[in-house]
Amino acid sequence: MIIVISVVSLGFVGYLVFPAMDITAQEQPEVFVTHSGAVVQTTGDVLDPVYTIQEVEFDPQKYLREFDYGKVSQLEDGTILREFTIIAEDDKIMEIAPGIFYNVWTFNGQVPGPTIRATEGDLVRIHFTNNGSKEHTMHFHGNHPAEMDGIFEIVGSGGGQFTYEFIAGPVGVHPYHCHVMPVEEHIGHGLYGVFIVDPKDARPQADEMVMVLNGFDTDFDGENNLYAANTIPFYYQHHPIQINTNELIRVYVVNMVGLDPINNFHLHGTLYEYYPTGTDIIPSQFTDMTTFSQSERGILEFEYEYTGRYMFHAHLTEFSDKGWSGVFYVKDSSQPNMEVYDYGS
Amino acid sequence: MIMEVKRSSKTKTAVSAIIPFVLLAVMIGYVFGPGSELISFGVVIPEISIEKVEFVDSEIIATVRNTGPIAVDIVMADIDDSILPAAIEPDKHLERFESAIVRIPFEWNEGQPYAIGLTIDDGTRFEKQVDVAAPSIQPTVEMITYFAIIGTYVGIIPVMIGLLWFPFISKLSRNKYKFFLALTVGLLLFLGISAAEEAIEISAENLSDVFNGVLLVATVSIVSFLALNYVGEKLKKRAGASKLAGPVAIALMIAIGIGLHNFGEGLAIGAAIVLGEAALGAFLIVGFALHNTTEGFAIAAPMARTKLMIGRLAAMGMIAGVPAIFGAWVGGFVYSPLSAVIFLAIGAGAIFQVIVTIIRWIQNEEGKLSNSSVLAGIAVGMIIMYVTSLLV
Repeated sequence: MIIVISVVSLGFVGYLVFPAMDITAQEQPEVFVTHSGAVVQTTGDVLDPVYTIQEVEFDPQKYLREFDYGKVSQLEDGTILREFTIIAEDDKIMEIAPGIFYNVWTFNGQVPGPTIRATEGDLVRIHFTNNGSKEHTMHFHGNHPAEMDGIFEIVGSGGGQFTYEFIAGPVGVHPYHCHVMPVEEHIGHGLYGVFIVDPKDARPQADEMVMVLNGFDTDFDGENNLYAANTIPFYYQHHPIQINTNELIRVYVVNMVGLDPINNFHLHGTLYEYYPTGTDIIPSQFTDMTTFSQSERGILEFEYEYTGRYMFHAHLTEFSDKGWSGVFYVKDSSQPNMEVYDYGS
Repeated sequence: MIMEVKRSSKTKTAVSAIIPFVLLAVMIGYVFGPGSELISFGVVIPEISIEKVEFVDSEIIATVRNTGPIAVDIVMADIDDSILPAAIEPDKHLERFESAIVRIPFEWNEGQPYAIGLTIDDGTRFEKQVDVAAPSIQPTVEMITYFAIIGTYVGIIPVMIGLLWFPFISKLSRNKYKFFLALTVGLLLFLGISAAEEAIEISAENLSDVFNGVLLVATVSIVSFLALNYVGEKLKKRAGASKLAGPVAIALMIAIGIGLHNFGEGLAIGAAIVLGEAALGAFLIVGFALHNTTEGFAIAAPMARTKLMIGRLAAMGMIAGVPAIFGAWVGGFVYSPLSAVIFLAIGAGAIFQVIVTIIRWIQNEEGKLSNSSVLAGIAVGMIIMYVTSLLV
């Protein structure tokens, strides 16, 4: 009996003292590439935030150029009516980075919510339903009556409803987000999206895209663990955004990072015309570096002369090291059928 | 007939011993099976501990253990908040208490502090701060020799020097001799407390709460105490009642106890060098050496009333001193906080066992302990140890 006990306890101690020696380790060694280009081999698993193929529930590539113009109809006085249906939920668990599962709170099942787009003077009507377990609202930046502000008109959980109605304006790029206290928490979990108001004289034709700069504090210690343009860290580094040389690119950038007072945007290989808040049609800056405080936003317009890969990222390197970085892959516009470049494969 | 009765009673005993286990197994089976819903209240918080960080060529290696109540997946690694590609071996899934090695390719700079972060599947990040990055030591012939030399300086040489007090002690009057014997008790008392303290300190700093550091130290110490007590009694019985055997057996027990203690010291020195605290090196070694001279004295004291047996004395010096070399090797090459705590606790138990043996011996010789020279000896022993320990 004593022998059995001592053998068992010694075995247990041995197991604890010496790191697991697993004889069932994989036979085929895996290989991964470091940030500095070195190739490393392992018999175990690879933890790779950038290069591993991951199936994301939310597709930043699709979100990038997806604009929701609503269900369009015309009122008797000729005003365009745009109707949207937005449903808030707060029970979704999403894989926001390879292997990291986080409880996101969503508008229409995604973070950021759909990009709502209208022309100045249109009547915007939003049928909002709160299917969450907490109270939520929609608060739009822009012009509207006080009762459409989404602050005091709290929408109850489990199917509460509210219809927001206002005339789209002013021209520009604006955020919308839930404004229930604590706002930090509701925004931190993902209840935000972009609202674009186009001028009546449309902006010049361009390859348009939306980038919401966001972050996630996945362990609730008051510091963001992950940063990104459009939710998934390093996504556009893994899947570069394909654009053409000598084509006007227009990026609507909205900074929704909480907890950190500022964020920024830096573009490689060219400079852009910058329109703060997008409210003016004359750019105020020609630069490659813009600083955004919380919910600050603007429009960037640029063209690339040369083909190749160009990074865009936070010049706050802590943010870029934690996921807020991406790549534009510039193709020659005279050769439209060029082979698709797959970075990192 | 009688045999059958005996057999059936034996079976009955066995069955009665097993029944409680069976009931317990049934209950545990129910709690984990059909009854699991009844008691699934509260939120389970996963936990991992980064137990060790090594700096090798262009790579930082972290040893991580799942010290929480549920299995976890390690999914992301970072250095100073910079997320990096990494590898985890044998695999990223860690059951309770399972450990793995995370290899993070990184061009680190010597002497710089680093924070190593690991994130698990629910997004919680765990961090280990390393104050000074120093290249991890590989067991090359050169390093093995280096550690052996350090172990010799710290363990063997001072103990041997301490043994040279033998002729001095053997010429002392009965009362003075008692004083010096008691002095040994004081020395050992100090060493035992310091070993236990060191073990508790390491467990508090480097071991996760699940290991119940203080209770681990207490359990291991007491088991080591009991085991050595048993061995000591056996040794004495085998040696018979010969007058010579008593003191030699005690000296041997002291040597073993001190050997275990010196193993712990070697461990500390080896680990300090690995952890990049070698700048203190020379001072640390001189301190331990001075300190350990008193240990030689402790071995010499009980044998002082017997004939001088240089061979045996030297052998005991080796038993006490050589483990410092092994300690330095273990501490330098395969350091793990858990093994350090266990070795230190074994040492503490061994030393307390020796103390009890010496006290019993003094009692047998003298009849009582409250003799003024005995009390003074213990006090002076502790004070000497305290003062020399200030040098470390």
